Amino acid sequence: MTTSATEIVTVPRRRRGRGPAGTRPRSGGLLSFGHWWWALPGIVLVFGVHYAANAVGGFFAFTDWSGIGSFNMIGFDNFVRIFRDPSKILALGNSLFLAFGSVIASNVLALALAVGLNRILKTRYVLRTLFFMPTVLSPLAVSYIWKFIYEFDGPLNGLLAMIGLDGLVRPWLADPSLAIWMILIVIVWQNIGFALVIYMAGLASVPVEVEEAAAIDGANLWQRFWNIVLPSIRPAIAIATTLGIVNGLRIFDHIMALTGGGPADATQTLATEMYKQAFSLGNFGYGAALALLLTIVILFFAVLQQRATRGPKEV
Amino acid sequence: MSTQNSRRTRMVSTVAVAAMGTLVLASCSGSDEGGDTARFSMTYATSNNLESPYETLANEYMETHDVDIELNPQPNDNYAQSLRTQLQGGNAADIIQTAPGSGQGQSLIELSDAGFLTKLGSGAEALVPEGSEDLFGADGVYGVPMDYTIVATAFNETAAAENDVTFPADTDELLATCADLGGAPVSAFALAGAAAPNTGMMALSISATKVFAEDPAWNQKRIDGEVTFAESEGWHDTLELIVEMNEADCFQPGAAGAGFEAITNGLAAKSSLTAFVPSGAVHEIMSGPAEGQELTLQPFPSAGEEDFILASSNYSLSLNAAAGDAASEAAQDFLAWVAEPEQSQTFADIAGVLPASGYAELDLSGTAYAPVADALQADRFAPLPNSQWVNQSVYDELGSGVQGLLTGQSTVDDVLAAMDQAWDN
Repeated sequence: MTTSATEIVTVPRRRRGRGPAGTRPRSGGLLSFGHWWWALPGIVLVFGVHYAANAVGGFFAFTDWSGIGSFNMIGFDNFVRIFRDPSKILALGNSLFLAFGSVIASNVLALALAVGLNRILKTRYVLRTLFFMPTVLSPLAVSYIWKFIYEFDGPLNGLLAMIGLDGLVRPWLADPSLAIWMILIVIVWQNIGFALVIYMAGLASVPVEVEEAAAIDGANLWQRFWNIVLPSIRPAIAIATTLGIVNGLRIFDHIMALTGGGPADATQTLATEMYKQAFSLGNFGYGAALALLLTIVILFFAVLQQRATRGPKEV
Repeated sequence: MSTQNSRRTRMVSTVAVAAMGTLVLASCSGSDEGGDTARFSMTYATSNNLESPYETLANEYMETHDVDIELNPQPNDNYAQSLRTQLQGGNAADIIQTAPGSGQGQSLIELSDAGFLTKLGSGAEALVPEGSEDLFGADGVYGVPMDYTIVATAFNETAAAENDVTFPADTDELLATCADLGGAPVSAFALAGAAAPNTGMMALSISATKVFAEDPAWNQKRIDGEVTFAESEGWHDTLELIVEMNEADCFQPGAAGAGFEAITNGLAAKSSLTAFVPSGAVHEIMSGPAEGQELTLQPFPSAGEEDFILASSNYSLSLNAAAGDAASEAAQDFLAWVAEPEQSQTFADIAGVLPASGYAELDLSGTAYAPVADALQADRFAPLPNSQWVNQSVYDELGSGVQGLLTGQSTVDDVLAAMDQAWDN
C-alpha cells in the first residue's frame, strides 16, 4: 500500500535503541505503547486454532479417510483424481469465473457509483445507505430472495410473460448455460456495497484543489478521473480487489442456496465440491485435498493481485 | 396411517419374534432396585414440525419405567454429518438412529465396520425382516429395525378423479397420459429436479421394474464385479424411460430446477397427480398440506409384467459402542422394548410407515398401501437399491445425472459411466 501522490511523508528510519536524529528514546511511561508479548495469547490462539487445525486438515488431503474410522496414506492420489475428473476442473473454472467476474463487475460498478455519490448529489447519503444495505444482509437470506425471483413461477418469469416476452421464460437456475451467470448477478448485487464504501473512503482523500487545478488547466472529466482520481485511490482499489478475489474464490453460501451446485454440477466450485465430498459423501480425504487446492489457488491470486496493484516504490 | 389390520393376527405372528428379541436384547431386568434412575441418551433425525415417533416412544418409556432418556434431536438435512462428527469425537448419544445397509452417512454397515456400534444379541436376527439380513451387519445385527418403508409413487386419487385420469397400467399408457395432460396446468408427475434425492428416488422406483424385477440379486452381482451399470440393459432402460417421460411432458414446467416444495405444493394444489416419495411422506402430505384428499401408493407401471416394488427397513436404532456400561444396559432394555409389536405399531402409525415386524400379515385394504399390498405379500419386492451400494457417491451420481438428463447436459451412457466410476473409487 502506498500513500497518495499528494501526501508523501518520509519518515526517518529509527535506529535500534535510538530516537530520531540519534537521540535517546524516551523511556516507557504512559506513552510507551505496549510490548510484543502482549499479543502472545492471541498469537497462540491463532496458531493453535487456525493454523494447526488447517495443517491437520492438510495432512488428511494425503489420506483416504472417510471421516470416521481408520485411514491409509495414499500420497498424491487425491490430487491426481481431482485433475483427472472433468467435473473438478469445471469447479475450478467456476471458482475463477465467479471470483474474477464478481471482482471486476462489483468494483467497476462500485467505483462508478462512488464517483457519482461522492459530492454532487443531494440524495447521496440516502443512496449510499441503500446501496450498502445488501452487504449487511446474510448471503443466505439474499440468495433465497433471489431464488424466489428466479423460480419458474417467480416474479422474473412473470414479468417477462406480462410484457410479452414468453420466449425468454425459463428455469433460470436449471439452465446449464445461464445458472452460473444468475449466481454471479446475485454476488455482484450483494458485493457492490462493500466495494462502494471502500471507494467512498478513498475518494474522500482526493484533494479537491488538485482536481480544480487540473480543470483550470483544461483537463476534461475523464482526464481528471484517469490521471488524478484513479492514482489517488490506488490503495482503495488494492484493498477492494484483494478482498474481492479472496472472498470470490471461496464463495459458498450463494451457490448452496441458489443451485446447490446444479444443474448436474454445472455451478459447483472448489468450495462447494469440498463441502459435498467431505461432509455429504463422506470422502473426507478427497474433500481435504480440494480444500488444500483452494487454499493454494487463493494464496496464488492474492499474492499476484497484491503485486499487480502495488504502487510506485517509495524512495 | 390408520391401518385396518387384525390386531390379534398381528400379535400372534409377532409375539414370538418380539419375545425372542426381548430376551436377547435385554441383558438384565430394567427394574431399578439400586435406587438410582438409569440414564441414557438418544439422538435421532427430525425434519418437520410433526410428531417424532422416537420422542413419543421415549416419553412413553420414561412414563412406564424408572429411566431418564436425554433426547437429542438433530436436523435431518445434516444428521449424518452431525452423527459422524459426534461419533468420531466420542460424544455421540448412547442410542443413535441409523439406516440399515450402506451408502448413507448414517448407514449402520459403515458405522459398525468403523467400530462405532455394538453388536446386539444373537437372537436379534429374529427382528430383521426377511430378505434384509445383509442390511443389518456382516457379522451380526447392529440395529433394531423400526419400520418397513415402501418406495413407490404417491398418487393423488382426488386430483386424478377430477381430471378423469386413472393410474396407468403400463409405461405406454403412462406416456400417453402424460402427453394428454401436457404438463400444465396439471402434470402427471411432480418432480424436485434440483434435489438429487428425489431424482435419484425416481430412477430407483423405475429400476424396480426394469432391473430388480428381472434380477433381484443385481446389486450383489455388482458388488461381486459380475455386472456394471454401463452394461446393464435394465439400467439403460430405466434412464431412457426418464428421458421419454421428460419429452412426453410428464413433469411440471420448470421441473429440472424445482425443489421439494414442488412435490408438496403440486400434490396439495392438485396441479400434479403423482410424485416419487417414500411411504412416510404420503402420510406427511395427507396429514398436512393435502388434508382431506386421498393419496395412495402405486407401484410404478411395468411393461406388462407383474408389479414389483422397493420395500425395506429405512430406519433403525443402534447402540453406541462407546456407551458406558450402565447406559448400555438401560439402552438395551429400551431397544428390546421398542422392538415389541405394540411399540412397532406406534412408530408405524406416527411415521406413516409399515411396522418392522408382521407387515406381511397386515390387512392393507382401504389404506394408502392397498395398491402395493399384492406385491408386498407375494414377495415381489427388493430392498431399496442404494442401501446396498458401496458408497454415497453412486446415488449422488444417479441423482445429479438424472437432472442432467432433464436439462440435456448428460446422456444415459454418461450417467451410468459416472455411477460405475463412483462405485470403483
